[in-house]
Amino acid sequence: RYVRQLQRLQLLFSPSAADARGARQFVEEAAQDFARQHPDVVLYVSPHSGPGPAPVLRAEYLNGTVREELIASKTSEEIVQLATKLANQSGLDIIRIRKPFHTDNPSVQGQWHPLTNKPSILTVQGPRLQPQ
Amino acid sequence: VAKTSLTSPPWPEVKLPDPVEEAKYHAEVVQKVNGLISAGHYGRLFAVVHFASKQWKITSEDLIMMDNVLEAECGDRIRMEKVLLVGADDFTLIGRPLLGKELVRVEATVIEKTESWPKVNMRFWRRHNYQRKRIIANPQTVLRINTIEIYPCLS
Repeated sequence: RYVRQLQRLQLLFSPSAADARGARQFVEEAAQDFARQHPDVVLYVSPHSGPGPAPVLRAEYLNGTVREELIASKTSEEIVQLATKLANQSGLDIIRIRKPFHTDNPSVQGQWHPLTNKPSILTVQGPRLQPQ
Repeated sequence: VAKTSLTSPPWPEVKLPDPVEEAKYHAEVVQKVNGLISAGHYGRLFAVVHFASKQWKITSEDLIMMDNVLEAECGDRIRMEKVLLVGADDFTLIGRPLLGKELVRVEATVIEKTESWPKVNMRFWRRHNYQRKRIIANPQTVLRINTIEIYPCLS
């Protein structure tokens, strides 16, 4: 059972800006295919008319993190690649991870300590331990 | 001939047991382990798996991260071959160097395919007015190990 960590993708662009050409082409051609390939991601397209902020692709994840990527002056294929990359990610912060593995149960046969695999002291016969 | 300090080697002399008795002992142990596996008297299983040019010690439900791109999509189930060692609480099965595919089955799912944190790759030579700066983000895949199963087909 696999749950995709991307909640929704919001595409904010303005139809009259020159640098949003790639976004407009993406919306015309590839947006439907993308939405069909990823059926558990909701894609919102919201054009705001007139000169406004730069075109942005905003991704929201199930743990609440919001990630914005600029799509100004990018071709339609690049936007598709970006969108697939965001869809495959999860909402954790992209910082340096110290260990590439994580386990909840690190030891199965008991953790090693310096006294495993050593003979017990009780069986040692010494001059003092003999019964008198 | 007199015995000096160099007649016998300094390590203690080990006598090997009789090969016939050894074979009987081996068969008995194998039968016992087979019986345990088929009866299901094992708790958690751990395995040592060779994957992406690294060896990992894995149990069920744990996370592993690779620094490469796998050809599977997110949410695909993957079966890992190349299992070197399988162990439980009372017994371990050691492969030479690999265990058979009919013995062990390790299943994992691809959870996410992200990029690493942006690393800076800079080259600088002093007094030569030469510096190049490049930001690298490697693609990474995160797998979660679902199950490790063993089947009683020892010999």
